[in-house]
Amino acid sequence: MSGVKTILAFDTSCDDTSVSLVQGETILVNVIASQVELHKQFGGVFPTVAKQAHIENIEPSLLLALKRTGLTLEDVDAVAVTVGPGLAPSLEIGLTFAKNLAKKLKKPFIAINHIEGHLLSPLAKRQTRKIIEVKAAKKTHEKKVKFPVLGLVISGGHSDFVLIKNFGEYVRLGFTIDDAAGECLDKIGRMIGLGYPAGAVIEEFAKLGDAKKYEFPLPMTDSRDYNLSFSGMKTFARNLISKLEQEATGRGENGLNKQTIYDLCASAQYGVFRHIIHKLDKILAKENIKEIWLGGGVAANQTLRKLLRFKANQHGLVFRAPYSKKLCADNAAMIGVVAAKKLERGDVITGPRAIAKIDRQPRWHIGEELR
Amino acid sequence: MKILKVNESNQTKVIDEIVQSLSRGELIIFPTETTYGAGVDATNQAAVNKLLSYKTRREGKPLSIAVPDINLAEQYVEINETARKFYATFLPGPFTIISESKHKTAQGVESEFGTLGVRIPAYQLDLDFLKAFGKPVTATSANAASKPSPYSIEDLFKNLSEKQKSLIDLVIDAGELPRNKPSTIIDTTLSAPVELRQGDLAVEGVARIEDREVDFISESEQETKDIAKRLLLKNWKKIKTTGLIVGLDGELGVGKTVFTKGIAEFLQVKDTITSPTYNYVNEYDFVRHEVAGKFYHFDVWKVGTKEELERLDFYKILKPHHVIVIEWWQKISGFVSDLEVGLLEVRLSENDKGQRELRVRQK
Repeated sequence: MSGVKTILAFDTSCDDTSVSLVQGETILVNVIASQVELHKQFGGVFPTVAKQAHIENIEPSLLLALKRTGLTLEDVDAVAVTVGPGLAPSLEIGLTFAKNLAKKLKKPFIAINHIEGHLLSPLAKRQTRKIIEVKAAKKTHEKKVKFPVLGLVISGGHSDFVLIKNFGEYVRLGFTIDDAAGECLDKIGRMIGLGYPAGAVIEEFAKLGDAKKYEFPLPMTDSRDYNLSFSGMKTFARNLISKLEQEATGRGENGLNKQTIYDLCASAQYGVFRHIIHKLDKILAKENIKEIWLGGGVAANQTLRKLLRFKANQHGLVFRAPYSKKLCADNAAMIGVVAAKKLERGDVITGPRAIAKIDRQPRWHIGEELR
Repeated sequence: MKILKVNESNQTKVIDEIVQSLSRGELIIFPTETTYGAGVDATNQAAVNKLLSYKTRREGKPLSIAVPDINLAEQYVEINETARKFYATFLPGPFTIISESKHKTAQGVESEFGTLGVRIPAYQLDLDFLKAFGKPVTATSANAASKPSPYSIEDLFKNLSEKQKSLIDLVIDAGELPRNKPSTIIDTTLSAPVELRQGDLAVEGVARIEDREVDFISESEQETKDIAKRLLLKNWKKIKTTGLIVGLDGELGVGKTVFTKGIAEFLQVKDTITSPTYNYVNEYDFVRHEVAGKFYHFDVWKVGTKEELERLDFYKILKPHHVIVIEWWQKISGFVSDLEVGLLEVRLSENDKGQRELRVRQK
């Protein structure tokens, strides 16, 4: 083996069980159990509430990860796991499993903050086997990181602006005081009747609609902080939808027509992103920032990426986002990337006693010490 | 401690003694048309502190003040239209009318919500000494927390500790009082008046917080939070003895999370309350008046079976000192029955005036 350490990482912060093997920033494998892979194997539907699913999925996911890479547990140099934030009973499963494994293998244990995972997810690299790929990848990903970085974690569960002063040095500049951005879109989709979560459908429909058709309110323009709030948009959407439905009924139509739905999706998405960009502008005007990074489920949204890339270009900043959709979702590869940085710094936990003391931390905000 | 028996002929002297005693910052026990009350100068911090240690654990239960008339009341509270009507109709009498406080009383008198209850007792001796004293006097029944209302000095002393007795400076003994309930308390600071405690006299057309079903109207997010806080204060004992579930229902964007934020403010949770939708549940620690507990905030929209609820460790957390707020309560209410835990069901909706209507059911 070369000098590069191999890290085995777990994430069971919410619904999905994920296991990954990484070497530095390079992702060897990233198994997400509730998504395609294990579904195919078992051919069944997984329970939505996670605890039982994690218990059932964690070992098969680990075996699959090893099989795909051709590695064995002997090759693992450290074990990393999300300890928070997340759903307490779910976190518990991954944490216990990883602790036992670290003890059994007598390897260092690394406790990871899930948000830090999303924050550093833009750094994750594909495993490059062919020379051509190496050349092709010599773009943003190869550029050396310039701090300070502004990290945006925008997902169904989080909306955070984080100042990254260096790896391991974070200041939470702003956060949502109610719903997350992705959640707001999911819920508006739910009101329109697009199922749940509806984020991906909204993105598709938005492409067919007029984003300026309905003007969603821009929240918290008076507040001087960098916080976000999406509850007012939800209320606005509810009233707008019921008004449009009444109008449709008045015209003798059965529910909203397609174009109205497309326009609603486009306008809602624009409203949500406009709020984020508005606060981003405030931050860029005040703080000294060199790069903008985007992570989290909504980072998969191309419109948001375009908006942020445009902003970054405008200010002469580097923009980075994860190379795949899977890295935007809750996944263990990003946990592995953070773990690699921590391992480099020696920020690891060794010895069965110290490992046993680590407890799940469901409300661990980024920038706070692990309790 | 000095005990004065009051009779027809010594009233002037008694009033004089009371005024002097109150002016010295002393604690007096005095008769009212309801029960015996414990009184101190409500503007004297040392005196109020003395009363608070006499009353033992208050945990956020405010005191109220007694005044001789509306003129003195207006120096201490903002009397709005609604309150003014109640003053005109019911005072003097066994009613406490709550208004926004002007924050001129000593700390510990007004409520944590910044409101203050005012009494004008229908008891001539009280009106006379209050007029002579010229300042508000705390109006709280003379019993310690969780002890029965006292109708005679003998009653009272039976239930007092030596330490409590030692805090009393002057007792005005008017013998056995008629067994009238403590005053009816009406909160006039919300959009519609609410009766927080019913005495002997009820008021027509006023919602009663103690009823199994009570409706509130909210004009703003702040008011939605204020209503949540009042409901929680009313259920504080239940929280400590059994724990409390607050089941919320209502469409997206109607204010379920706002209501929850009010509960968290009441519990003095330090963290920002954000939506639990993604995680199913967020868990917070709280410490309120030295009572520590846990606050759980669930969104069970994605939960369809009892097994799923079990996997969220739901049944394990139903215990004393836990407050469990559940959004989309109707989805799981069927899985929660015969539990030894308090339950408050709140349905929020928006009316065509843009106000929020809160329909509260409790058991």
